[in-house]
Amino acid sequence: MILKSLHAQNFRNLAPEPVHFHPTTNIIVGRNGQGKTNLLEAIYFLATTKSFRTSRVASLFRFDSPTLYVAGGVERDGVERNLSAGLETGETKRRVLMINSERVTLPVYLEALIVFAYSAARLEIIRGEPEERRRFLDRGIASISGGHVQALTRFTRVLRQRNALLAAVAAREASAASLDAWDEEFLAAGSVIQASREAYAEELSRAVGEIVREHRYHVGGLEMRYRPAMADPAAARRDELRARSSLSGPQRDQLEFLIGGRPAAEVLSGGELKTMVLFLKFAKLVLFRRRFDEPPLFLLDDIDAELDLEILQSLLARLPASTQVFATSAKESFLQALEAGPHLRLTVDSGRVTAARSFA
Amino acid sequence: MTAPPLANLINELSKLPGIGGKSASRLAYYLLKRPAAEAETLAQAILDVKSKIIRCSACNNMTDVDPCAICSDPRRDPSLLCVVEEAFNIPTIEQTRDFKGVYHVLLGALSPLKGIGPQDIDVAGLLKRVQSGGVREVIVATNPNVEGEATASYIAQQLRSTNVRTTRLAFGLPVGGDLEYADHVTMSKALEGRREI
Repeated sequence: MILKSLHAQNFRNLAPEPVHFHPTTNIIVGRNGQGKTNLLEAIYFLATTKSFRTSRVASLFRFDSPTLYVAGGVERDGVERNLSAGLETGETKRRVLMINSERVTLPVYLEALIVFAYSAARLEIIRGEPEERRRFLDRGIASISGGHVQALTRFTRVLRQRNALLAAVAAREASAASLDAWDEEFLAAGSVIQASREAYAEELSRAVGEIVREHRYHVGGLEMRYRPAMADPAAARRDELRARSSLSGPQRDQLEFLIGGRPAAEVLSGGELKTMVLFLKFAKLVLFRRRFDEPPLFLLDDIDAELDLEILQSLLARLPASTQVFATSAKESFLQALEAGPHLRLTVDSGRVTAARSFA
Repeated sequence: MTAPPLANLINELSKLPGIGGKSASRLAYYLLKRPAAEAETLAQAILDVKSKIIRCSACNNMTDVDPCAICSDPRRDPSLLCVVEEAFNIPTIEQTRDFKGVYHVLLGALSPLKGIGPQDIDVAGLLKRVQSGGVREVIVATNPNVEGEATASYIAQQLRSTNVRTTRLAFGLPVGGDLEYADHVTMSKALEGRREI
């Protein structure tokens, strides 16, 4: 899978000029605050319609602009296709996703370009809210199983309906007669998601363990424990009516990262945390590679001194040679690991991207 | 400024489902250009459906005679009952000419977000029909979305005590389509519902 070019409009500070990429390694340099990360974020947005930095999509719009648009040329299995994702703010809040100028649904769109991203913001996977970890699992599952996005959409709709009913019954505005029917839908929609999460967490946990061992990393024994929240709705009925919302289900699942039985976030130093998240990202990649021939894009944002550069180099060396990598750093010396082979150096200055030198 | 009678028509038309402000205005100007007789025919047709169409007292279908043409047809099998959400679902099933039973229109589907509970749809009427005997099978043909599925579950639970066979329409691939265009959920439902050949 190769991203050949990108064209962003009103996306943060990026200039509306097409940028062409190298098929394998793209090194993005520039002073702080010039838009290096914005370029990676635009690539991530093109693939996922989301950001890896923030859950607030509104912050992606260039100041005062009501719309934003990112387009790109993607080559997959020898076929080149044009992807574009457009968003509107304000009342309409429309999202227009297109492949070769034809509108497509979100599940179809998401399969066209697969991206894995590492950035400091991803540290929230280990030390952030449980929501971050559920999203981490879901994005991983979605990268290998197209039905997962639909399953989540369906569950969210059942959850909203069920919560509305619990609130109405608690307020004596509705009868409890149909609660059983919604319980049935709730369990059916929820168990599909929990089965996927369970299987994915187990496989990922094994893969990450292997990577850590292979690198003889000094922090061993990272344990990933998935704890699905599913209770018998009939037994939880009284509590749920009091809370006026669903107290179990995939929306309350837990994923714990433990080292020696203690939360990893409490045990690990800043640098160890970054390296661990990097291992997790590579483990996700391993799972993807078991199912698909073409490697996804790999984004590495802000490589810094805290990250173990030797490990990064060894991880990168293990990627299939055809993996397209995009890496940013404020300090060029950290990017040396990537400069050994053919690559393109892109400089970002006030949102304007220029290809500096190509070593094709 | 638009003349008040014209603005009034545009406003009324824009209340129709699927009609926005622009479409409403285009329709209004179109009607304005047509002969008066045509407008009268349209107006009369609208008044007629309101005055002449009633709900079938047996199945809730839209009809001009009670009971409706389907319920009173002696060639139809009253022991086979097909449950649909809305009366406009009936023509879709009738097109097949394969279904020889009768219908029951629920007049909606369960949706707590819209405040629609079991008492707001006609499950009571369905139960009464089943309990009065003569029904062999209830085919639940509610929509295959979240609300339709919950409604189907509810109906199944209500009918459990009656010992009447309750079935649900199968989910699967559209006939004449290509496999590659099937979405994931449809495909996995089709796999789940596969059968011997």
